[in-house]
Amino acid sequence: MGQKVQRVEDQRFLRGHGRYVDDVAVDAQTLHAAVLRSPHAHARIVDIDVSAVLDLEGVHAVWTYEDLAELSPPMAEPLPLLIPHPALTHGRTQYALAKDEVNYMGEAVAFVVAEDRYVAEDAVGLIRVEYAVLPPVVGIPAARAAERLVHDDVPANLGARLEQNVGDAPAAIASAPHRLALDLTVERSACMPMEGRGTVARWDPDLNRLQAWTSTQTSTGVRAALAVKMGLDLGQVDVITPDVGGGFGVKINHPWPEELLVPLAARVLGRTVKFTEDRREHFISTAHERGQEQHIEVGFDDDGRLLGLDVMLWHDHGAYTPYGLIVPIITSTQLLGPYKPQNYRVVFESLYTNTVMVTPYRGAGRPQACYAMERTMDAIASYLGKDRAEVRAANFIQPDEFPYDHGLIFQDGRELEYDSGDYPASLEKLKTLVGWDEFPAFQAEMAAQGRRVGIGLACYVEGTGVGPYEGAHVHIETSGKVKVATGLTTQGQGHATVFAQLVADELGVRFEDVEVVTGDTRRMPYAVGTFASRAAVMSGSAIHLAAKRAKEKVLKIAADALEVDEKDLQIVDGVVSVVGAPPDSVGASIDLGTVSVLSNPLRYAFDEASKRATQFQVGDPGKPPVPEDEEPGLEGKDFYSPERATFASGMHAVIVETDPETAEITILKYAVVHDCGNLINPMIVEGQIHGGVAQGVGGALYERMAYDESGQLLNASFMDFLMPYVTEVPDGIDIDHLETPSPLNPLGIKGAGEAGVIPSAAVFAAAIEDAERTASPGFAITAMPISPSELFALRRSKESS
Amino acid sequence: MKISGSNVVDQPVDKVWEALLDPRVLVATIPGCERLEATGEPGDHAYAMTVTAGVAAIKGTYQGACSLSDLQQHESLTMTLQGAGAPGTVDATVQVRFSEPAPGQTEIAYDADAVVGGMVGGVGQRMLSSVSKRMAGEFFANVGRAIDPSASAGSEPMVPTNPDERAMPGVYTAPAKSGGGVSSRDDFLKGIVVGAGLVVLGVVVGSVFGRRR
Repeated sequence: MGQKVQRVEDQRFLRGHGRYVDDVAVDAQTLHAAVLRSPHAHARIVDIDVSAVLDLEGVHAVWTYEDLAELSPPMAEPLPLLIPHPALTHGRTQYALAKDEVNYMGEAVAFVVAEDRYVAEDAVGLIRVEYAVLPPVVGIPAARAAERLVHDDVPANLGARLEQNVGDAPAAIASAPHRLALDLTVERSACMPMEGRGTVARWDPDLNRLQAWTSTQTSTGVRAALAVKMGLDLGQVDVITPDVGGGFGVKINHPWPEELLVPLAARVLGRTVKFTEDRREHFISTAHERGQEQHIEVGFDDDGRLLGLDVMLWHDHGAYTPYGLIVPIITSTQLLGPYKPQNYRVVFESLYTNTVMVTPYRGAGRPQACYAMERTMDAIASYLGKDRAEVRAANFIQPDEFPYDHGLIFQDGRELEYDSGDYPASLEKLKTLVGWDEFPAFQAEMAAQGRRVGIGLACYVEGTGVGPYEGAHVHIETSGKVKVATGLTTQGQGHATVFAQLVADELGVRFEDVEVVTGDTRRMPYAVGTFASRAAVMSGSAIHLAAKRAKEKVLKIAADALEVDEKDLQIVDGVVSVVGAPPDSVGASIDLGTVSVLSNPLRYAFDEASKRATQFQVGDPGKPPVPEDEEPGLEGKDFYSPERATFASGMHAVIVETDPETAEITILKYAVVHDCGNLINPMIVEGQIHGGVAQGVGGALYERMAYDESGQLLNASFMDFLMPYVTEVPDGIDIDHLETPSPLNPLGIKGAGEAGVIPSAAVFAAAIEDAERTASPGFAITAMPISPSELFALRRSKESS
Repeated sequence: MKISGSNVVDQPVDKVWEALLDPRVLVATIPGCERLEATGEPGDHAYAMTVTAGVAAIKGTYQGACSLSDLQQHESLTMTLQGAGAPGTVDATVQVRFSEPAPGQTEIAYDADAVVGGMVGGVGQRMLSSVSKRMAGEFFANVGRAIDPSASAGSEPMVPTNPDERAMPGVYTAPAKSGGGVSSRDDFLKGIVVGAGLVVLGVVVGSVFGRRR
């Protein structure tokens, strides 16, 4: 633990030996699915005519909603509302295939299975659907105006309204010496993993079992959904998640229509069926995030100390709410960051629009939260003419105040209680790292040359490692190799590396001898999933505990075999030996493989090794071969279930230059101070930060979902949707770590996966605003992302006004 | 999506008028139009049509319908159009105005408000506007040639007698390979053009039928 161990996965990935869902079942017997999707954002389905498809050679099935009930009655019910919440009074989910109406462009309408994808696509093209087009609701202003409704039975397009209060914010603001109000907006973006969704399924009629491979962030979740929807027992369904080419949140939502329809088709048709989505399908029929409007009122004293904070959020959740209120709840709670507002009121309204639904995207509501809070801090500093870092420091929760209970309820239904952290120390590190105090001189020097440079900083706190639990199974083979299984899935984070590190450390085996499997319900049927920066915290802790159990058993058996006390034994490089005994002394050591052989009393011998465990070789005739309360085999299994989330934190700073003529935005320096508790593998944590910052640059400067007023997504391709290339990401990111261990788990760790993306919108808005301030008149940046064209337009509008 | 533009045909208004009254002209000159069928009573100005066009990623057959309203003779009309096919859908409202910029010429100006849905909308939208104008230009050139074949050297008259019409009154099909397709030489642009087809179809059909009273 704590070492920069190279990722064991990378040889495979970089040499093209990764095995993704589309690499499974590539034989000619596999059938292929394609989906007809609605071209309209809002319409009633008058008629669907599939007659032209029926004569097409190579088509095995064509289904519409009408067919589902007969195939499996639960399939005709709406898809699950995964996370119900009392405030979600008007939750709605779509059907696997649209019933009577469509509510976003891209909603699945019909499903075709054919010999190959070409035939399936041709068949989709032959289906005629008659739509009665309805006026769509696009964008938060239209949703709030509610002149038109997305769902007839949802008044005001309001899915949920949730209010949380600490103290009396309006009164505190009213009596505060200074007051400000801000109106902010953030646009939509999306996860955009390299690998889209994909599902392969095979029905085994001999065993009466379903086997499904799917590119998901929760194989146990998909398994449970499949069992329910196909009328199967959980024990009849195996879900395997092979290599996944990125998730970033979008693959935690489940089950997708295709994830159900493909296995259903496999059972009905008796053939393996595969669906791999294309990029356009990913744009228009998965999920987006980020879109919010925010109104903030704040009261503060002469030092910029918050006295009251009153926040109203309007959250665009798209056409359906399968993932409940997780994103706006996170925004409304994590908005507080490292600060003590003293009095806080937050209200959010979660609104329906005729657009792709919204589920968590890396950061999950926190980028918007950080943006709201940090823009407010900048506004206060600007109003008081104070240093922006100073205003923040005046509001920090202090190191001696942990655990700090905000008095709010977090996304896991538990108290928003920070476990540990040291925000003043983080800020000092960041100021040093980015050269905060030296910057004004540099800025003035540049300004004298006619160049506009600016600096911004932003702080965040991130609740990571939410429950309910994860488990792990550690099995020491008779070869001495260690097989580890945990149920959550892997999308490129390097789990096989860090989890192996934990086992090697705890068990005293060589790192190379540990093999980790994730996301296979055959190996670990109890699991939750990979989201909320929880894999290391949850599965890491469970693996640590399971390895501990395996070690206890190793020592017990080895102590028996070596006839010594357990306390006198150590395990080094897979060999149990008596502490202090000379390395070559006979009878003073035993390797783990042999311990494994002895752990399983045998009647039959198969080789020299197993002979040692047969009935005439070992055992005390006066005792049962397997002692009471013991099990055969050298295994350890355990679960980790924390009381609440652990809170990681960090601070980013960026220096940008804006071109006086073209308004092009260039990143000169990016600095990160990061605290995720104890580090398992600093290299992997830094990789996560790099990736997060890159994704954040995209979200702050390039990416948006360009919906037109009719609900058409105009930039549903990589030709039009701008993602940062390596050329747009800073060449170097300066990173410094602070380690405040979490008291909530045995390793003292906190999550790190999402952190890098959280402060982006806030930190770039601040830096660009600061750069523009060097040339009069200067203006506030209140809408993100911001493109050079928009910056240019802002300059123009300020100059003219 | 809003598309505006205008085109001048080097024919006097009365000649353009006559030509555009004739569905056989239309089926031969609308880019990609294969079939045009009058629906409803004569004078309803309602047609069903089939347009096949496309290259590369966005190609296919569109089934469309259009109708005219607010007819102001020689001045303006409103055309509504709906079309759907595998590549996407188009719903358009086109305002069309007519004028005579010079003796012997007809100018047709249009303002189209189109909702382009499905794949065409997402993939080709940002190019649709310019491509639509280009197609409109091609259409009007076709119309010019249809009125006066000698104006374009060596070309055949574009309005042959139509055997289909005799068999099925009110149904017009395009002559094989004679101006029914998009004549662009640029294959990529042609692919995008296909997406624009129905938008332009709305524009051109609107302008064409606008003269019919």
